[in-house]
Amino acid sequence: MSLVELLNWVQTSRFAHGIAESNHLLIALLQVVHVFGFIFLLAPLFLVGLRVYRLVLTNYPTEHVVKQGRKLSLVGLSMTLSSGILMFLSAPLHYYYNWAFDTKMGLLTLAMVLYVGQFLWVAALNKQHPALARLGISMSLLSWIAVCMAGRAIGFV
Amino acid sequence: MGTAIAEGRFAFPVLEGIHLIGLSMAVGLLLLTDLRLMGVFLPQVPVRQVHRQLQPYILGGFAVVIVAGTLLFFSEASTLIVSPPWPFKFFFMLLAAVNALYFEFVIARRPEALPEGGPLPLGVRCAGLASFVLWALVIICGRMIPYIPHWA
Repeated sequence: MSLVELLNWVQTSRFAHGIAESNHLLIALLQVVHVFGFIFLLAPLFLVGLRVYRLVLTNYPTEHVVKQGRKLSLVGLSMTLSSGILMFLSAPLHYYYNWAFDTKMGLLTLAMVLYVGQFLWVAALNKQHPALARLGISMSLLSWIAVCMAGRAIGFV
Repeated sequence: MGTAIAEGRFAFPVLEGIHLIGLSMAVGLLLLTDLRLMGVFLPQVPVRQVHRQLQPYILGGFAVVIVAGTLLFFSEASTLIVSPPWPFKFFFMLLAAVNALYFEFVIARRPEALPEGGPLPLGVRCAGLASFVLWALVIICGRMIPYIPHWA
């Protein structure tokens, strides 16, 4: 079974039909959850970034800020991924043929790798190599910003 | 200018993206401050420190949101003003602004309002909760605009 056949099978499934043909406010609700998830995901990253650049909370250890932000950020990631997957399942072939969506998925993969690395190592890295920690958090934030820009373009291409 | 944004291939999505990124920074950091006021985030860090140090970045983010939002409004003003969630979005923004000003100029100026440690007064926690709920409602209304284009 090719990928297109698989996506076609998903798109014609009862579950996908259920989402696509439900009240349009269900998709609106998924969009709301997606945006809230993105905000909860990104806000702790901004805070950790500001701390790593020594712009805020400088008398508190970076690991303390990272640890506190991690929980909220993971909640945001779960919200944004689950709502994103449900929106994708409503019309997978439509998204498959959309180059902005492909770009978003590529950028999302990069952002996820940097995200995991950042929450695992940024605090330790900040102690030994602050310049590398700054580079890492900057790359992580930029990758999420790029994901956001590609995501907004999906409806316009 | 509004026509140029509406008719340009990428101007509108780029502005929407900038609006969302500004929102993530401004409202995101504001929600973190609200969670601190409620006592559930960074409880070891004094509230005054979180509030004062994050404020410039929150205001900077809001400047981005306002500029991008105004340009988006110019490009689709006629559809926006008839959308039911649109006036509600501004109503909740107004309430959030009043809440923020009351906190800044009344509650936070009381000597006992923002202690260095320990539980925060009820008024401070309520101000944080009100801000959190109001900004959540602003975002919900904003996202609903394309899905509820007109009354009935």
